[in-house]
Amino acid sequence: MLELTDLRVHYGNVAAVDGVSVTVEEGEIVAIIGPNGAGKTSTLRALSGLVRASGGRVVFRGVDISRWRPHRIVALGLSHAPEGRRLFPQMTVIENLRMGAYRRRDGLAIERSLAEVLERFPRLAERRRQLAGTLSGGEQQMLTIGRALMSDPTMLVLDEPSFGLAPLIVREIRTIVESINRDRKVAVLLVEQNARMALAVAARAYVMETGRIVLSGPAAALRESPHVKAAYLGG
Amino acid sequence: MSIDLLVQALLNGFGLAMVYVLVALGLTLIFSILEIINFAHGEFYMLGGYVTYYAYALFGLNYFATLGLAILTVGLAGVVAERLIFHDLRGKALNAFIVSLGLLWVMQAGAQLAFGVLDKPVPSAFSGIVRVLGLVISVERLVVTLSAIVLIVALYLFLRLSRPGRAMRAVAQDADAAALQGVNIEAVAALGFGVGCALAGGAGGLLAPVFAVSPAMGALPVVKAFIIIIVGGMGSLPGAVLGGLLLGGVEGLGALFMGSAAVNILGFLMVIAVLLVRPRGLVGGA
Repeated sequence: MLELTDLRVHYGNVAAVDGVSVTVEEGEIVAIIGPNGAGKTSTLRALSGLVRASGGRVVFRGVDISRWRPHRIVALGLSHAPEGRRLFPQMTVIENLRMGAYRRRDGLAIERSLAEVLERFPRLAERRRQLAGTLSGGEQQMLTIGRALMSDPTMLVLDEPSFGLAPLIVREIRTIVESINRDRKVAVLLVEQNARMALAVAARAYVMETGRIVLSGPAAALRESPHVKAAYLGG
Repeated sequence: MSIDLLVQALLNGFGLAMVYVLVALGLTLIFSILEIINFAHGEFYMLGGYVTYYAYALFGLNYFATLGLAILTVGLAGVVAERLIFHDLRGKALNAFIVSLGLLWVMQAGAQLAFGVLDKPVPSAFSGIVRVLGLVISVERLVVTLSAIVLIVALYLFLRLSRPGRAMRAVAQDADAAALQGVNIEAVAALGFGVGCALAGGAGGLLAPVFAVSPAMGALPVVKAFIIIIVGGMGSLPGAVLGGLLLGGVEGLGALFMGSAAVNILGFLMVIAVLLVRPRGLVGGA
């Protein structure tokens, strides 16, 4: 479904992503874990078109989207919930969700998606008229995921959904990601510094360090890897 | 001093201020979408003035049709300017500052070449006065002010209710996030620049019969617009309206006590006062 081949991203002369290859199959949850500054977010920004890759290919649903701009990539069914939530702070919860459906013209289906998202996130339903900027961290993350679902995607890209959240909320987010994947058959590419959470949710995972993939395999195997244990799971 | 006189003075001030609010709203819209300040904004106002001179004063087109034509023409000129000059400068405030200053000189010199250096008078479309509750209001001023208010409300509704308006608000709040929702940022930037210039063009058309039309006519309204924006808060559309009301009030009342040249100082005093107390402006967020 998604295939990154030898992807490279440069900022000036500095390589942030230095030849990364990642695949995600239909309906699969795949994680990329790694430390801060490893190039995980740059990888995601390149695949959704926010930065232009300096090399390599991004193929999504059989189409080479390496040179596409973001708005066309969303329309093809790839939805990216970015790092740091990036909501529209001066818009209400509902307005944020409706922005997620910006490319869609099917009014009735949009209303159905909206009802579905509000059912999945009862907290958002309670706060539907509130400005996004006034929500708590966990609610903002839920709104980010909900907004990403509003484009009716076939693949969801989540960048650090657990960042800065209390353990209880992280568990809630994890359950939500699993249920979205199960109910809607949406493939998920999950980028996390929280390796414990990521390896619990994902079927397969990649370990990214200084712009390269250094390890990959089934999540269960990575959980047992001495390197992953020592560096990411606290021994 | 009677209340009537005070109210009269305030009305006089608000009248023109509403037109300057249009200029300020255009600047603010462009700033919030492209994160640049277009110093050639007054030159788009000037273009609106010349469209009005040629279409209305020379060709004899209907006043309101002329206003629509000025808005449309200048809006298109704005889209062209964005595509040709500003589209690579989104977020690059310093580059855009230099480039837009260059554009200002090019457009002013171009206007001198094309239209001549002399002032061109535009006759008033409306004459006479109306008396309401003892107040005397010139019909021309009334039409100008009401037209400006209609345009402000139209902008508000456009941003609030239309799909491109929604996209503009989203881009202003977070451009990357908007792109990830499927908003075509380049198209929105071009349209936003065009709408911003169209507002300036409309303002130029409205004030063409009040002042004369000349290549340098853009300087005054832009100075007023900057006062309004700084007082109201950079990037805030409600702030621009509030700043305009304040400027109008201050200038209107000031005109009771001093000459019209001296009144211009009041705006700057107001800017200094606001910056001392609240540097981000009255409604400004960050």
